[in-house]
Amino acid sequence: MLRNLLALRQIGQRTISTASRRHFKNKVPEKQKLFQEDDEIPLYLKGGVADALLYRATMILTVGGKAFGMFEGTAYAIYELAVASFPKKQE
Amino acid sequence: MTHQSHAYHMVKPSPWPLTGALSALLMTSGLAMWFHFHSMTLLMLGLLTNTLTMYQWWRDVTREGTYQGHHTPPVQKGLRYGMILFITSEVFFFAGFFWAFYHSSLAPTPQLGGHWPPTGITPLNPLEVPLLNTSVLLASGVSITWAHHSLMENNRNQMIQALLITILLGLYFTLLQASEYFESPFTISDGIYGSTFFVATGFHGLHVIIGSTFLTICFIRQLMFHFTSKHHFGFEAAAWYWHFVDVVWLFLYVSIYWWGS
Repeated sequence: MLRNLLALRQIGQRTISTASRRHFKNKVPEKQKLFQEDDEIPLYLKGGVADALLYRATMILTVGGKAFGMFEGTAYAIYELAVASFPKKQE
Repeated sequence: MTHQSHAYHMVKPSPWPLTGALSALLMTSGLAMWFHFHSMTLLMLGLLTNTLTMYQWWRDVTREGTYQGHHTPPVQKGLRYGMILFITSEVFFFAGFFWAFYHSSLAPTPQLGGHWPPTGITPLNPLEVPLLNTSVLLASGVSITWAHHSLMENNRNQMIQALLITILLGLYFTLLQASEYFESPFTISDGIYGSTFFVATGFHGLHVIIGSTFLTICFIRQLMFHFTSKHHFGFEAAAWYWHFVDVVWLFLYVSIYWWGS
């Protein structure tokens, strides 16, 4: 009876998911070594090529977007002014 | 190479505050363009650059903490204070919407019929989907606590399981609320009832999505062995935020769904 109870307890403690067995290796020590290298590269670029690409894309989109926005906004403002300047003919 | 003689973190210069500010400008002017000129380009650009900024900023925080070891005990203490202050500010944010609700519902005007819910509004039955939503969030509060204890006891598999359950429950809540919104007999433009209902529950729903995203990031970090049984502040911050979201819902349920019907 007690043996059955103990067995039940073991089943309850066993995990259901096997997802973790998809062999996630602990790469933290490698990353620690990479990011602690004394090479003057700023943190936001220290991860490699992907960092630089992402950084460049973000900068281009934000600064370019600001320029585009200012242009688009100004263009729209002028357009609306032009429309407002010419009265529509009533039919 | 110079070494500091203190335990604090002197953060290195970073471009993300600038891109964050620019993305905020793009988002706000994008909203104006959308509302008035029917163009969504700027808004989409703003959302994209905002997402890129957040991803890279918090990626760098992980690098500083987990990979470079900058998150010493005093630094962690500061991060804790920071998260607590942030959540407090969110409490005040929601307090405003609850104020608005009680202001209108405690003294309903003659235009509404002198009673609450106002004339013409059929409120949702609080014992149907809203009650299910309440149980979903409460259960998620239990599962996240289970995940935390598993983490502290070095039980990797159970932590992953429990955190996954929490995230799935959060997703379930979001789907249920979305279907409620779709099926609702009243809209946001149905007077003050509609306004208070959808603004309060809408912002709450947004916070559930934000919280679920935060938890998902923690899930990925746990898979990548970032957390130790003694040091896992990112997870604790996510858990605090999640409990906050749960508590806001309880207030919403009792005030708007239950008392307000």
